[in-house]
Amino acid sequence: MDNRTAVIAAGAVTTMAAEAAHRTKIRVRDLHFHYHGFHALKGIGMDIPERQVTAIIGPSGCGKSTLLRVFNRIYAIYPGLEARGEILVDGVNVLDPAYSVNLLRSKVGMVFQKPVPFPMTIFENVAYGIRHHEKLSRADLAGRVEQALRSAALWDEVKDKLKQSALGLSGGQQQRLCIARAIALKPEVLLLDEPTSALDPIATGRVEQLIDELKRDYTIVIVTHNMQQAARVSDCTAFMYLGELVEFGATATLFTKPTKRQTEDYISGRFG
Amino acid sequence: MPATSLYARRRITNALAMGLGTAATVLGLFFLVWILWLTLLRGIGALRGSLFTRITAYGPDGGLANAIAGSLMMDLIALAICTPICVMAGMWLAEYARLTRLGTVIRFLNDILLSAPSIVLGLFVYMIIVLPMSDLTDGAVSFSGLAGGVALALIGLPVIVRTTDEMLQLVPATLREAALSLGVPQWKLTVQLLLRAASSGIVTGVLLALARLAGETAPLLFTAFGNNFMTAHPLDKMASVPVAIYQYTNDPDPALHAIAWAGALLITLFVLALSLLTRLFLSRKKANHG
Repeated sequence: MDNRTAVIAAGAVTTMAAEAAHRTKIRVRDLHFHYHGFHALKGIGMDIPERQVTAIIGPSGCGKSTLLRVFNRIYAIYPGLEARGEILVDGVNVLDPAYSVNLLRSKVGMVFQKPVPFPMTIFENVAYGIRHHEKLSRADLAGRVEQALRSAALWDEVKDKLKQSALGLSGGQQQRLCIARAIALKPEVLLLDEPTSALDPIATGRVEQLIDELKRDYTIVIVTHNMQQAARVSDCTAFMYLGELVEFGATATLFTKPTKRQTEDYISGRFG
Repeated sequence: MPATSLYARRRITNALAMGLGTAATVLGLFFLVWILWLTLLRGIGALRGSLFTRITAYGPDGGLANAIAGSLMMDLIALAICTPICVMAGMWLAEYARLTRLGTVIRFLNDILLSAPSIVLGLFVYMIIVLPMSDLTDGAVSFSGLAGGVALALIGLPVIVRTTDEMLQLVPATLREAALSLGVPQWKLTVQLLLRAASSGIVTGVLLALARLAGETAPLLFTAFGNNFMTAHPLDKMASVPVAIYQYTNDPDPALHAIAWAGALLITLFVLALSLLTRLFLSRKKANHG
């Protein structure tokens, strides 16, 4: 009991961020991450609000991507990586080995830095994940694919070439296809790992606009090295430095009145 | 002054290295071109329609029809045996045992098999298939096309295992992460996505293996043995082009030598065609990834 309170106290700075109006979707408690002896995350604690966009910023190597990759346990596919602590999604600790990763990953979708279309048709790309988790009739499947592509603002561009290879799409279209593929599983949380860093400004703008629309239905966590992007798209921002969570709060506050010196230095461009 | 001498020394070293490299290339190419030229010259002179229609039983008046059929059949048996095994083994190496000690050891052993003398593999199959078969059937079946196919499969095995392993390792890690992040299990990812992404590379490996085993003589001597007549039964002794060439070149009859040259040309053309096919697949692979 005491132990538990201490842990929560450790993360107390962070909890203010969740505005009262928004329920906490993901609760991170005393999260540590090690790989091959390197201590990459040092006691992270934060509350990520539901149906809001939470941005994680910080200089290269601060652990922001690592943190994101713990949320769906994708880190676990490589040997020698270890996460300790708790990540509670709706109150359930998803780091518990007994918690099915496949279930977790259907609830917590992820989009990566570079668009990764599968070497198959556009339709099949989106249908692939659905087929694995649900048995749907042809018509239902087609409906779900269309819905996902519409949600990802891609439908109008690809509706006439669903049978063509996804590899023929432009980079921005491929990335929106990856978003469609992730949301086709109807996840609750969407993790975006620098989703626009490989895209041109116009494609970036479209993806950002999409993020804004998607937060109506999904809890979004986005890692970005682009502070302007964090300021544009997010409701809450977490600033990380050297494996620690320095500051976490409402984006407007964090960017205008940061409470920590390091945060101020970073957002004013003094390092990073 | 020291700067100029340093520069002069580098120029000399450069010229020396380039000279030696060029000489080595010319030497290598010289023999290659010589071999190809001779094969082409003597082979074309001996090409006749009867090569494909008559069997070796007719000797100097015959052809290589039974040897060509036997070669094709044993090559097919070999590929049918080793392709599924090798692709699965390569899959295991690349996807399940990539960084493990066992994987490293097996990869090393596979490389040893790659350079194992082919006559040893022939003798091995003689011991494990030809002799036991002969014992079981009281000598009715001994040397056979099947045994030849198995021996050739052992030649192709390390080639396909290695290319499958390497081609799967070339598939970017991001594809794996993207599929696994959808909650798809590893086996589905491997079978449905990675094999597809690496398919042209794996086909290339199979073609390379075929090119390698099409010219093998030694593993067939103690396994398929050879046969002067046409047969399609895998448990019969079976003729093959390389063994026919080997036997004909040991004969004093110049007419048989001519047929052997024609056979050599056929194999060379077959391997050349396979190499071209391989390049085609690889260029398609590049186009896919571009």
